Amino acid sequence: MDTRLRRVAVAALVVALLLLPRFGSSFVLDLAAQTALAAVGALALNLLTGLAGQISLGHAGFLATGAFTTAALVESGWRSPLVTLPAAALVGALLGVIVGIPSLRLKGLYLALGTLAMHHVVLYGAGELQTRWGVNTGYTIPPPRLGALVLKGTVPWYYALVAVAAAALVLAVNLQRSRAGWMAIRDREIAAESVGIDVARYKILAFVWSSAATSVAGALFAYYRGFVSVEAFSFFLAIEYVAMIVIGGLGSALGAVLGAGFVTLLPHGIDAAVGAVRLPGGVEYYLFPAKFGAFGLLMALFLIFEPQGLVGIWRRVRNWVFLWPFRHRPLRAAS
Amino acid sequence: MVLEIRALTLEFEGLRALEGVSLTVAPGALHALVGPNGAGKTSLLNCVGGFYAPTGGRVSFGGAPIHGLRPHRVAAHGIARTFQFVELFRHMTVLDNILLGRHRHMRAGVAAGALFWGRSRREEALHRRRVEEIIEFLELERHRKEPIATLPFGVQKLVGIGRALALEPALLLLDEPSTGMNREEKENLARFLLRIKHELGVTMLWVEHDMELVGDLADAVSVLDFGQKIAEGPAAAVLRDPRVAEAYLGRAFVRERGAE
Repeated sequence: MDTRLRRVAVAALVVALLLLPRFGSSFVLDLAAQTALAAVGALALNLLTGLAGQISLGHAGFLATGAFTTAALVESGWRSPLVTLPAAALVGALLGVIVGIPSLRLKGLYLALGTLAMHHVVLYGAGELQTRWGVNTGYTIPPPRLGALVLKGTVPWYYALVAVAAAALVLAVNLQRSRAGWMAIRDREIAAESVGIDVARYKILAFVWSSAATSVAGALFAYYRGFVSVEAFSFFLAIEYVAMIVIGGLGSALGAVLGAGFVTLLPHGIDAAVGAVRLPGGVEYYLFPAKFGAFGLLMALFLIFEPQGLVGIWRRVRNWVFLWPFRHRPLRAAS
Repeated sequence: MVLEIRALTLEFEGLRALEGVSLTVAPGALHALVGPNGAGKTSLLNCVGGFYAPTGGRVSFGGAPIHGLRPHRVAAHGIARTFQFVELFRHMTVLDNILLGRHRHMRAGVAAGALFWGRSRREEALHRRRVEEIIEFLELERHRKEPIATLPFGVQKLVGIGRALALEPALLLLDEPSTGMNREEKENLARFLLRIKHELGVTMLWVEHDMELVGDLADAVSVLDFGQKIAEGPAAAVLRDPRVAEAYLGRAFVRERGAE
């Protein structure tokens, strides 16, 4: 019963996503594509932080790694996405190993600082790369081309990125089910060891898979924007990704996707709200800092009032709808 | 397979937790390890389980040396353990906790797990069946889907044993399984320990404070005091040993009682 309902819901969602280009403006499609791209990155970070419990502030660094790997390859003449995407994954995985090794010793805040250092090293390297190639503003990336196929325009990109995000979501859900070892490490390292989990190997694996996936997301970002520069990968971006998985609900794949949507759409929501109210002149001047402020405020509010994030709200609403008009499930639920 | 501990020494910065302890646990035996607080019982279990690296001596299981191995390598030798303070995964259900005990038998890699195809899919059904058998064995059916944090401590301890059994161990290290249990729960525990011994044929090294349980169940008892083994043998004899009474109660008390 539950499964059938879920299947219907998923089917409805797929149809809605397929039909969106018929009704949505190109602005809406762009937002949806951005959300999908953010969802891939958020799912990867959720694997690392939500499941394996390894805090990372280096997510922007991993994204930059993929973007700049792609840029460097394209500049050198390797333009095929069949080369650039696997290369981005490989470089990302390698960086994951390097960053993962300190995680065997460092925990919590110290690990966060370690990943933060990685972020700055990667961005420094990327900046050097940028000046060496003599492109001070950044790289222009031509649209990806496979034989006669060129991925160009809002609608094809929308479909491509949503498909990638859907695939990432399915993989993430399956991983959560089959590799509970990561959650075991997050909850109790000693107990995880006692049931035979090789904690060191699992931590490194989490870093490798997470950073490889993030790096691919970075490469896709580069293609989608058509332009890569260091400025796009500020520390604030890393915070945004942490916000996505916290607001969405730590450890939940669905939460990561919801959080990605929330964080991507929030600035536009604030713009729209301010635009609708039509406040007197001068307010726009404060709009930019207000967005940052709203962000911090929302994160704090979520941590205080809804630690389970959007996915917690979703579960409550779903249960309320299912159980209505009752407040609780009957004691002996027929299953 | 026999567990052999030879001249095991464990030192922390000059503090000797264990001093040349030798111990042999016969295959299939329920071997109790008793002693006053701070005698080194848990330290000894931790040395066997790989959580501490002993500073001297040897531990072998079935002839293979296991001292100094990391805990997950020790587990690979078929040695499982429970903890005094359960150390369960509190946010997971009883079922998921025990399922994690199957980790050692899971062969599917991360990629197969992500696709949930082939081996990963076949494995899951098998492991879930095994977990159900353990749940039935320990009579945990009614708690199957409850998160650990909501369960009474006595039940949590049983789940800890269930998780250890899920490894299908040849040797089970039990660290005070009866602590925090009421009388009824202890009686159930005694029943489970005997069933584990007779039906599953698992060898057990059992740290315990409840002397009544030890006297009723243990095939052999070793007594530790201040990191040294002071007595060993069948339960009835060891628990009457004056040195054991002295370790627990103090010399003055024993002398006084002896004079009565």
